[in-house]
Amino acid sequence: MPYIIGIDLGTTNCGVAFVDPNAAADAHTPPPVTAQTVEQLTNPGEVRAEPLLPSFLYLPGPTDFPEGSIGLPWNETPAYVVGQLAQKRGAENVGRLVSSAKSWLSHGGVDRTSSLLPLAAPDGVGKISPVAASRAYLEHIRDSWNQAHPEEPFEDQSILVTVPASFDAVARELTQHAAEEAGYKNIVLLEEPQAAFYSWIERHPNWREQVGVGDLILVVDIGGGTTDFTLIAVTEEGGELRLERVAVGEHILLGGDNMDLALARTVEAQLAEKNTKLDSMQLNALWQQCRIAKEKMLQPDSNEKSTPITILGRGTGLVGGLIKTALSREDLYRVLLEGFFPVTSSTDMPQARRRVGLQEIGLPYAADAAITRHLAKFLRQQGEQFAAPTHVLFNGGVLRAGVVRDRLLETLNGWLMAEGKPAVKVLAGEDLMHAVSRGAAYYGLARQGKGVRIRGGTARTYYVGIESSMPAVPGLPAPLKALTVAPFGMEEGTDHTFPDREFGLIVGEPAEFRFFTSAVRKDDPAGAMLDEVGDDLEELSPVEVNLPAEGHAGEIVRVTLEAVVTETGMLQLWCVAKDGRRWKLEFNVRERVSG
Amino acid sequence: MSRISSAFSSFFAILFRGELPVRVAEEFGFVRKSEVKPPPVVKPQPEIRTSDGALQMLSILQRDARLIDFLMEDIAGYSDDQVGAAVRSLHEQSRSSLGRYVTLSPIIDGVEGTRTRIESGDVQAIKLIGNVPASGKASQGILRHKGWRVDKVDLPKLQPKEVTVLAPAEIEIE
Repeated sequence: MPYIIGIDLGTTNCGVAFVDPNAAADAHTPPPVTAQTVEQLTNPGEVRAEPLLPSFLYLPGPTDFPEGSIGLPWNETPAYVVGQLAQKRGAENVGRLVSSAKSWLSHGGVDRTSSLLPLAAPDGVGKISPVAASRAYLEHIRDSWNQAHPEEPFEDQSILVTVPASFDAVARELTQHAAEEAGYKNIVLLEEPQAAFYSWIERHPNWREQVGVGDLILVVDIGGGTTDFTLIAVTEEGGELRLERVAVGEHILLGGDNMDLALARTVEAQLAEKNTKLDSMQLNALWQQCRIAKEKMLQPDSNEKSTPITILGRGTGLVGGLIKTALSREDLYRVLLEGFFPVTSSTDMPQARRRVGLQEIGLPYAADAAITRHLAKFLRQQGEQFAAPTHVLFNGGVLRAGVVRDRLLETLNGWLMAEGKPAVKVLAGEDLMHAVSRGAAYYGLARQGKGVRIRGGTARTYYVGIESSMPAVPGLPAPLKALTVAPFGMEEGTDHTFPDREFGLIVGEPAEFRFFTSAVRKDDPAGAMLDEVGDDLEELSPVEVNLPAEGHAGEIVRVTLEAVVTETGMLQLWCVAKDGRRWKLEFNVRERVSG
Repeated sequence: MSRISSAFSSFFAILFRGELPVRVAEEFGFVRKSEVKPPPVVKPQPEIRTSDGALQMLSILQRDARLIDFLMEDIAGYSDDQVGAAVRSLHEQSRSSLGRYVTLSPIIDGVEGTRTRIESGDVQAIKLIGNVPASGKASQGILRHKGWRVDKVDLPKLQPKEVTVLAPAEIEIE
């Protein structure tokens, strides 16, 4: 039986874990999950097996590395450098560094298949697309696996790749494309908060004693670059406990890196008051030092009032040019807790982003840094009532700090008390850097029947835009209605057809439909028609189809729509003609979506 | 075979194929000269010298911890405070860098200042100081230094070429 490999394709770091389904100790214990190291370049000429693969890609120029020093065991002359060395050298030469490719996959405002990264690359540097960068990381993981397991080739194993729960259908499909282009077969995508929960289940075989029917588990995942919320309900079917993913939050670009940068800015401002200016390299060093100082002071048993921060002088005068300062605990708590985790009421919503006339191309970082407000919005928008979780599971590097967890719990319990509900119980998890990849491998076992599965289905509701047949008014766009093609929670392996809606497609000419999604509306059944596209619908890339003109150019074919969710959780839209011919609608990711 | 048939077949063979027919050649006892390849030229490989390993280690400590910058700097004029702060930072970086490439452990795992038995007579591993008897051997003494043994070395492969650059000069482009 093939191995099951779980891959956490993270914004800052990728992790890999695997399990051998045949290695179970006995019939009642699932086989153990093992973390897998990834071989990568750590310095020119040096290849090491490291626990994680930093999600950084460097486009080497003619003078960056000595000749032959970026060879890997499986490729003497790679076109890119991936991993630690890319991160290191990229800090020195930013114009050739591709980072946060994953965050670009969900950004509809750009053509995600076009070569646009790195944004700040100087002229003459061959750019790559976010999809190509993701493909490069996946290829590297594949090659590193084949190097470590020559008798179990990667292509023959069962692969699971994680994506944020908040990724919409387009971003998921792009991730799938990247994996297929990297030569992956048998891929299944899995949501990260679910993977974190599976990881908890793997470590707590007695989980059924800790949660019961009617419980609602909130998973809070705060990584380096993103924050993801998910709600999982515990239900019952035929006497057996069942888990169902009932809600998913928006994709919030806010994470540990933002916090470290905020601390660095605070210290920089303090130095500026003393007339010490920092250049960009020193600021970078300060950023790293702040991260280390923060982690030190957030340890459970540390109680120093402040941590010294030393920025060594540039060049050979490292003592002479030394800048000595400190990060005080007071500043740390103020920036971190008040800035990112203020205690708010559950009706405080995040400040909306203000539209500026001219918008530079860049990632849509969250306008409001208060994660607690984003959480409040998430719990409030689940329907009329405030969604009251009974348990909470924390995941992600930021939540390793007890102070942050305590603050989140304090805020959350405050809201629950105001609603007359009991306080949440915390599901204890060890913070392994491989939680998500391990959870993904465990889910692979669950799919084979050797464990419990969380039922999910689509994480959002999806709609197709239908132009209403009202007389056109010159100057005004035709009013648009929205047809629900995939309801929230549409299960894998199911499909919906819409025989009442017929469209006439012209053979040989492309036809496009506008495509929308909603994370908020969960009760629209398949086929429901919305009279207008309101604020709770978000527009995604349009879907298009081009009927091949095999000699029938200009002919009109009458088709109906069909929505299918595959076994692997991917949403597909098809046009079906009366005679049974089918054409798949593709997401047109080249078009920019405004807004 | 008859001379005339040999003559004709040789004529046509040479005209159209550029070579003698095999049986004619054999009959006359000619042996085809096989191609002799000249012996492969072996480029003299530069040897790896002792200093290359040392320079590799120094280069690594400079790259990861800036140790050479520190040793080469004139610190006479700086306060203890300033030097101390720099050293703390350097110590951490050097230690983790060293730990990545070399694994060290004490030769005698004991508490310095206490009495220890002297197990082996390995002169390289154990150095006797103080009132050493004439035979050069003793059974016990006070441990003054634990010693360092190298358990594992995991350095990148040395390239056999002249190493003169320990750390490149850095120029920032505006």
